[in-house]
Amino acid sequence: MNSPTPLSPRRHPRRLRRPLLGLLSLALAGQAFTADITLRVFAGGTAQRPDLLRHILDDYEAAHPGIRVEIQTGAATSELQRKYLSTVLNASDPSLDALQIDIVSPAQFAAAGWLEPLDSYFGAERDAYFASFSPVYQKVNRYRDQWVAIPFTTDALFLYYRTDLLAKYNLPVPTTWEELAQTAKAIVDGEHNAQLRGLSIQGAPIEGAVCTFLLPYWSQGREFLDANGRLTLDRSAALRSFALWRDLLARNILPANTAETKTGDTINDFAAGQLVFALNWGFAWTVFDQAPGTKVKGQVGVARIPRVAGGEHVTSLGGWQWSVSAFSRHKPETVALIRYLGSPEVELRLAREAGFLPSRPAAYTDPAYLAQLPWLAEAGPVILSGRSRPITPRYAEVSETLRNTTSAVLGGSLAPEEGVTQIEDRLRRVLR
Amino acid sequence: MSALATTKASATRARRTLGWLLLAPAVVLLGAVVAYPVGRLLYASLHQLNLVDPAATRFVGLANYAELFADPNFWHATGVTLRLALVTIPGAMLLGLVLALAADSDSRWRWAVRLALLLPWALPPGFCGMMFAWFFNSDYGVVNDLLVRLGQTPRPFLVAPGPAFFAVSLASIWKASSFVALILLAGLQTIPAELVEVARLEGATRWQRFRHVTLPLLWPSILVALIFRSIAALQAFDIPYSMTQGGPGRSNETLAILTNTLVTEFLDIGYGSALATLLLGLSLVLSVPYLRGLYRSHD
Amino acid sequence: MKPRLRLSNLAVLLVLLNGLAPSLWVLLTSLKSDVELAQRPITWWPEHATFTNYLRAFSEQPLLRFVGNSLGVAVLSAALCVTVSAGAAYALAKLRLPRPGLLLTLLVSAALCPPASLLVPLFEIMRGLGLLNTWLALILPNAVLSLPVCTLVLVAFFRTIPDELAEAALIDGCSHFGVFRRVVLPLSVPALSTAAILALVNSWDEFLLALTLNAGAHTRTLPVGLMLYQGEFTFPWPVISAALVVGTIPIVLLLAAAQERVVGGLTTGGVKG
Repeated sequence: MNSPTPLSPRRHPRRLRRPLLGLLSLALAGQAFTADITLRVFAGGTAQRPDLLRHILDDYEAAHPGIRVEIQTGAATSELQRKYLSTVLNASDPSLDALQIDIVSPAQFAAAGWLEPLDSYFGAERDAYFASFSPVYQKVNRYRDQWVAIPFTTDALFLYYRTDLLAKYNLPVPTTWEELAQTAKAIVDGEHNAQLRGLSIQGAPIEGAVCTFLLPYWSQGREFLDANGRLTLDRSAALRSFALWRDLLARNILPANTAETKTGDTINDFAAGQLVFALNWGFAWTVFDQAPGTKVKGQVGVARIPRVAGGEHVTSLGGWQWSVSAFSRHKPETVALIRYLGSPEVELRLAREAGFLPSRPAAYTDPAYLAQLPWLAEAGPVILSGRSRPITPRYAEVSETLRNTTSAVLGGSLAPEEGVTQIEDRLRRVLR
Repeated sequence: MSALATTKASATRARRTLGWLLLAPAVVLLGAVVAYPVGRLLYASLHQLNLVDPAATRFVGLANYAELFADPNFWHATGVTLRLALVTIPGAMLLGLVLALAADSDSRWRWAVRLALLLPWALPPGFCGMMFAWFFNSDYGVVNDLLVRLGQTPRPFLVAPGPAFFAVSLASIWKASSFVALILLAGLQTIPAELVEVARLEGATRWQRFRHVTLPLLWPSILVALIFRSIAALQAFDIPYSMTQGGPGRSNETLAILTNTLVTEFLDIGYGSALATLLLGLSLVLSVPYLRGLYRSHD
Repeated sequence: MKPRLRLSNLAVLLVLLNGLAPSLWVLLTSLKSDVELAQRPITWWPEHATFTNYLRAFSEQPLLRFVGNSLGVAVLSAALCVTVSAGAAYALAKLRLPRPGLLLTLLVSAALCPPASLLVPLFEIMRGLGLLNTWLALILPNAVLSLPVCTLVLVAFFRTIPDELAEAALIDGCSHFGVFRRVVLPLSVPALSTAAILALVNSWDEFLLALTLNAGAHTRTLPVGLMLYQGEFTFPWPVISAALVVGTIPIVLLLAAAQERVVGGLTTGGVKG
């Protein structure tokens, strides 16, 4: 099982087959296609750039004769992908070997026994390999003291702002929420543009709303779970988190329909020049900068998420991971494959060709990377201060509660106190 | 005498044999496709089975059901489902009836009407929900744009429970009306035109003709449409889910959405299966009186 | 006279608005650009009508293959469903089996299964039969899920056929099956068409099973395929509208043709004696 080096060519299975079949395959195959192992990779949707992945895998196939890799793409949204993966893995299906999963999924999938622990496939270089990644992955990608996932790309929530507008009113980049509110108000009042709004965040009952709740909560120095995975909700901090957003709503910094806003809406509005500030993921940068029809090219700045008064700067991490299916029939080969896909060379290539953010801290000061993505210099401090959302096998329930409650509070149909009580009641039972 | 009896008996046998033969394919298909999943559902519902906690799997009898009945989310979802059903069943039946009557007429708009009848149906329900969510979007929605043009203030429909419920109901009725209309339209075809004509010649008004001639003969079709509309309403999933994901808050979370969340998101198979079984049982209980009515209406 | 005219005209107007308005909106959207859609206030009529969305609909995803798969699965499952349910309905309605009510109830109960709970067991069944990513994997469940409604519609219809017709044919020496085939079925074209439409649409709309059982690119159906046009965080309505318009045309044509059978039998009243 131990396979510390990439694959040596497989023994021809011909001598295991009946002679007739062997003759037939000889007749059919020019190459030794009967000796090939085919690995199947589940690679999400178009956002994960399967086209680019295909090129990378072609190179891998060329370097490893005897291995063929197929990509299977799922539906476009991570929700549908997870649904599909859940069904397939629940049925113990061996058709998928490598899985691309969300950053919040390793704990859940590993607890269900769907991920192959990776430790035994590495030799002595294991600790060095994994230490090169950001330390937060020590918690995110490990389950029961074993590595279960290798980072593919990382991401984080940033504060995007309009450099031109801030310059025009001679205002500095805000570092606290109060500063942001005042800056936004000054600009919106000064601009007399009916379409211009101060800030956009994700308030729809989607995964982004979980981050909306957690950002001010974390900023106050609070943790959501303790080391044993039990709920450690600080009521007053949670209340303050809700109060912050409701205050911004009341002051019209946030639009009234924030409870409807999805990630794409924020991106579209900012790219159309209708926002001063926006909270969004790293991949939005490429949209603002390069998408056809963007009206803010060259006018976009990135900053750390503001902190609450007296709090700290935090951000929420996102991104995708590679894992090996516990039901794969080619585990050593698959582990070797995802090791390659998580390697620094592939990481640099992804940064260069797709603008994906690297998961290794060293990359953010590496001239080779900075040449490809200059904005990494700004992004580095943000990403490296990133926190992972609660790491628990019951994350699905945590997410569902937090996103629904937050959205309801933002929409005004739930009072903040009731919201906090709801979170506590639902999750205390689950996260025992 | 006995020869006649034997002939009758063999005729009955022949008839019955044909009956079972004709019924067999349906039974086989059902057994193959539905029986195993339903069996698994029942089996799972009697176990504590959460995929993220496999070590805790064990037989618990009816404990999942007991926990369901004590679960406020269950009762809330039940209320939502019933409220939605109470609005969308009559709504779709009424709209469907109007559609069917309009499509049945000899009006020169008949072709357009029939097309209009088919179009809502050809749209996959998930997209139907997303489309209506977009119509009711506060920034980009047609509805709010219309309100603004009429001088009203726009409102964020999908953000508050009341308006969101209205929007979801509207979308559901829209989608379901085609189904009802089609069944009623087929039923209208079985009503002899002469009967209606006779009534008209005897001086009955349009309403009287409808009430005393059309309606009684349409009753079986109405029942069929009612059964399936009710079952669909009870299991409402696609439209509320794609429109609001059950939100805002949980104000549109139907029982089917809750089941889906439990089974596919939380991976709590045991608990979710219990809820699914309850839904199944409820639908069954609801359809029995309808079916009896169907049989009785012809005897 | 005048008031009555107005009422029926109102009904027709309502019908047209109900069915055509949203579809018209989708059509108009398919002619707009992404940029135009991000504008506030929104536009109704496209500013610069463009057909690029249609080009993109075909180039970004194999739209024709999606439609072909959906059509194939829908037609075949409708055919299977109508065939099976016609026989079952006749047996229950006319052949005086014992306890027909109970049998019918059992049949109908098959429709009551929430699809989410069928996912994993069906996946295992299809995988065991080696049918994953084939049309058959969807044809069978879709046919079964429409079985109850088709059977019920046909039962309701068959019961309106007078028994005298069957008896007359039997006296003439026809077998029971002959009665079914040569007397009842030809009279039932409207109802059979209705059942076919119901089964067609149910299969066409079906999403969850198609997502799970036919996840491969070659056998994807339209509802699943339409979801692929979106990015993780973007929902490009113009392209998706274009794809929807294209994808819906075949099924609308099919339905219209079938509907003609339903309503077309308006004056041919063999049943109405």
